Amino acid sequence: METTVQILLNIIVSASLFLLIGLSFSIIYYPTKFFYMAQAAVISFGAYFVFLFANIYSISFPISVTFSIIAAILISAATEVLVFRQMRKINVVHWAYLIASIGLYVIFQNCISLFFGDGAKIINTSEVTVGHQVFGARITTIQFITAFVSIALFIAVNFFLHYTATGKSIRAVSSNPELCNIYGISSNKIILIAFCIGSALAASAGILSAMDSDMTPTFGFNLLLYGVVAMIIGGVGSTRGLIAGALFVATAQHLAAYYIDTKWMDAVTYIILILFLIWKPLGFSGKQLKKVEV
Amino acid sequence: MEYILHIFILICFYTLLSQSLNLSAGFTGLISLAHAGFFGIGAYTTAIISTQFGFSFWLSIPLATLISGAIAFIVSLIALRTVEDYFIICTLGIQVIISSIMNNWMGLTRGPLGIPGIPSISFFSFNLDSKISFLLLSLFFVAIVWFLLLNISKSGFGKTLIAISEDEIYSQSIGKNVDLFKTISFTLSAIFASVPGTLYAHYISYIDPTSFTVNESIFVLSIVIIGGLGNLTGSFFASAFLVLLPEVLRFIGMPDGIAANMRQIIYGLILVGVMMTARNGFSELFPKRI
Repeated sequence: METTVQILLNIIVSASLFLLIGLSFSIIYYPTKFFYMAQAAVISFGAYFVFLFANIYSISFPISVTFSIIAAILISAATEVLVFRQMRKINVVHWAYLIASIGLYVIFQNCISLFFGDGAKIINTSEVTVGHQVFGARITTIQFITAFVSIALFIAVNFFLHYTATGKSIRAVSSNPELCNIYGISSNKIILIAFCIGSALAASAGILSAMDSDMTPTFGFNLLLYGVVAMIIGGVGSTRGLIAGALFVATAQHLAAYYIDTKWMDAVTYIILILFLIWKPLGFSGKQLKKVEV
Repeated sequence: MEYILHIFILICFYTLLSQSLNLSAGFTGLISLAHAGFFGIGAYTTAIISTQFGFSFWLSIPLATLISGAIAFIVSLIALRTVEDYFIICTLGIQVIISSIMNNWMGLTRGPLGIPGIPSISFFSFNLDSKISFLLLSLFFVAIVWFLLLNISKSGFGKTLIAISEDEIYSQSIGKNVDLFKTISFTLSAIFASVPGTLYAHYISYIDPTSFTVNESIFVLSIVIIGGLGNLTGSFFASAFLVLLPEVLRFIGMPDGIAANMRQIIYGLILVGVMMTARNGFSELFPKRI
């Protein structure tokens, strides 16, 4: 009984983190239609900037978090304006954006390695505690905060996308950019806003994860891939599918950890991704994928 | 002098890797991030059969290419159902799965402990121990693979691949079996990738999973893109350039501690630059596709 509850709690915590990361990734995917892999670096940046401000400069924790998120937003906005906007002007092949974002990730991750070193670090907020008991299973305060914040942010962003003007503009640009430009919605501005929101979410995810377990310069990449898997499984167009996708990935991971071995968690995740890419390339949303553009 | 020979040997390895990836990414348009995985499969095959069974290197090359080709064939059945962006993510997933297996299947690969004590290559009871002899061996393989790839690219098969990369639907409409060509191209590319894997294992005489990670895949892909997709000579010059880059950095006085990171930052910047300018990398200097 206790192990079941423990596994369930673990699943909920992991799923909410993947939900946040998947959301940060998909909100950039909607208007731009490419996979912004440098988001992995933004996740790491969130955590490392908090480390910089809180542990090195000894600024108070809430202010460090705010500064860190602002810094992550600035970096993402800069890459959008300096790199991707220029690429949109010359109409590059579709995969060039993906490769460029991988290049950016390499640059950013090595900058972090340069400044902070490759060793594992942790953001210290309080002393190590035993954690709260829930029906015999244990959950730490930070895990509870992770789940709570992720779900709250998800609901907030969903509300933003469906009920505010800017949010609706983002969805408009994602379905037809040219028509939006004709109607006076500047797709460049919308994309910039999407980048800012996406990187704020990603930085928060990085901070939450680093408060729970340690951080290395490359930890963002693994987290991002889990979020990408959740997004693809859930269906790239739908935010509700993201919930299903995140839950599915988290469940598969923790069941694999329990029944097989924790070292196979990664492999299981990607095997599931590949299976989904074969049979249901558009995920739970059930749409059919147009194979190639004519 | 020994060190310069070592650099040349590294250039040979990366030329082999990038030219084999160029077959799949440059000629067919299948940009794959799984290349380091096939590199590793070649290395681990030869490591396992030469340390545990005592087979010689010359036997392990055909075996490694067979195993690598078989795994690539299975992978391509799955991965080729996806297009462009999703294909890249799929190969990324495959690379991580291969890395994970290398790291976790302790019984086969000894996991993170790696496989030490790989013997050096012997050629008619003449032990190829020295760096110069290994360099000659590597150059021999580079020449063979370059020759083969050149002929493949000039043949009808190669022309069909280029046609597929430019317009898949049109190629299918004139009757070319696009799926078959893509599968063959991807499998051949993996077969050619396992050759430097076998050489690498015998050269360093110790391998572990950290040499065959996603970062290595990204690096080889960068070499291919910077050298120009579909341009074999470009791949050679780009490998030389990117291998010599950290040496040049050291020459101008950059401390060793940050050299590795700076080299990655620089090739990342070049990659982003090449993507931003929509040019075909070094192949601006070599207008023909060779």
